[in-house]
Amino acid sequence: MKLNERSVAHYATCNSPPDKTGFLFKKGERNTAYHRRWFILKGNMLFYFEEKESREPVGVIVLEGCTVELCESESEEFAFAIKFDCVKAKVYKMAAENQAAMESWVKALSRASFDYMRLVVKELERQLEEVQEEARSSQAKSMLKKHQLQLQGATFSLQNATITGPSQEGVSSRENGVSWSKPPSVPNGVRDTQGDCSERGDGVRPPPVPPRRKTNGGSLESPVSPGTGCFSKLHDWYGKEVAELRIEWLQSQIHW
Amino acid sequence: MRFNEKELVFLSRQPSERAAELGMRGPKKGDVVKRRLVKLIVNFLFYFRTDEDEVSVKQRLIWISTASLSLSLEFNWFVFQPIGALLLEQCRVEREDDHVFSIAFLDEAERKYLFECGSQEQCVEWIDAVVKASYEFMRKNLIYYRTEIHRLTGKDPLEQYGISDETRFRVNSGLPPPPT
Repeated sequence: MKLNERSVAHYATCNSPPDKTGFLFKKGERNTAYHRRWFILKGNMLFYFEEKESREPVGVIVLEGCTVELCESESEEFAFAIKFDCVKAKVYKMAAENQAAMESWVKALSRASFDYMRLVVKELERQLEEVQEEARSSQAKSMLKKHQLQLQGATFSLQNATITGPSQEGVSSRENGVSWSKPPSVPNGVRDTQGDCSERGDGVRPPPVPPRRKTNGGSLESPVSPGTGCFSKLHDWYGKEVAELRIEWLQSQIHW
Repeated sequence: MRFNEKELVFLSRQPSERAAELGMRGPKKGDVVKRRLVKLIVNFLFYFRTDEDEVSVKQRLIWISTASLSLSLEFNWFVFQPIGALLLEQCRVEREDDHVFSIAFLDEAERKYLFECGSQEQCVEWIDAVVKASYEFMRKNLIYYRTEIHRLTGKDPLEQYGISDETRFRVNSGLPPPPT
């Protein structure tokens, strides 16, 4: 199988900082002695060089779908292995120079996969959304007064949708699914902190997610709600409801 | 340069972020466009033979010449093994045309791999997907989220997971860490 090897090797030595570097002993593939090699870990790629000063790597291990385990070795102390899950998979046997180095490498290598990084990113993305949501709702309270004055008088077009609020599109537009996948308690929680407002005002935030169903006439209830199995259908269905709720809210604003 | 090919082939058979039959042209002069099944998995772009003339001719030859089970298994391996893989780090993705995009690697920027899509929409979607498929892109996002959350809350969001000291999540990517 072909690989863009030159560019892969370039990734190893280019100026982006590596995640970990150091000497390790690696058991040879043909010659089963342990050879001391200079290792560079970048992302999910573990490169190894003959010497620290070598410009071209001897090889690379793609760290996707692997586990890293401590292992017993007759000849080497501080040994560990990189194991893959596929049929007739390779086992890369390695040894560090001391206990601390071994532990540090095992930790670094077991967190090196793309999937792991993706998980952490998604988690932080979700957390940031929550934090921004909280910030917006406290901002909304102070903005509410301002908006009340704006709504009186001047032409108010439904297109304006101030309901989308300041800087709200940024995060939620990137991934449709994000706000819907939050547990229902989150928007409810946020609403509670707003205290009593004389109107239904959520200020500039869009109406909260479905659990608020009781306040509407039954017209929005679809006789058949899509099964939660199909996320995009569910999303569309709730999306229609939100759109109608928005229009209703806006209309109610105009009439007082 | 050695690499763990078997494991990479195994990876190529996992569920993909995105897969489609596209026209693909290599970066060398004289390379022509060929239909390929292109699969995006983590930060790799794999490309496979499609159900095409080149397959069926070989297929016919092999099936005619032998009925042995082991040989036909090997043939299946031949068909379902990717022709190649591209690691999508340090690369630039560009819109070449309405429905054509290119991938070039920063160390040899003039050599472009071209991909012909079925529509403008597909082209745009692929470009977006490939750009977001790099580990370094994800790392940048992570640093942004981490910094923003810290700015808004005063807390490091990675602390609760015990990974705030990991070099891969470092906010200031300046000098490489000292070897341990």
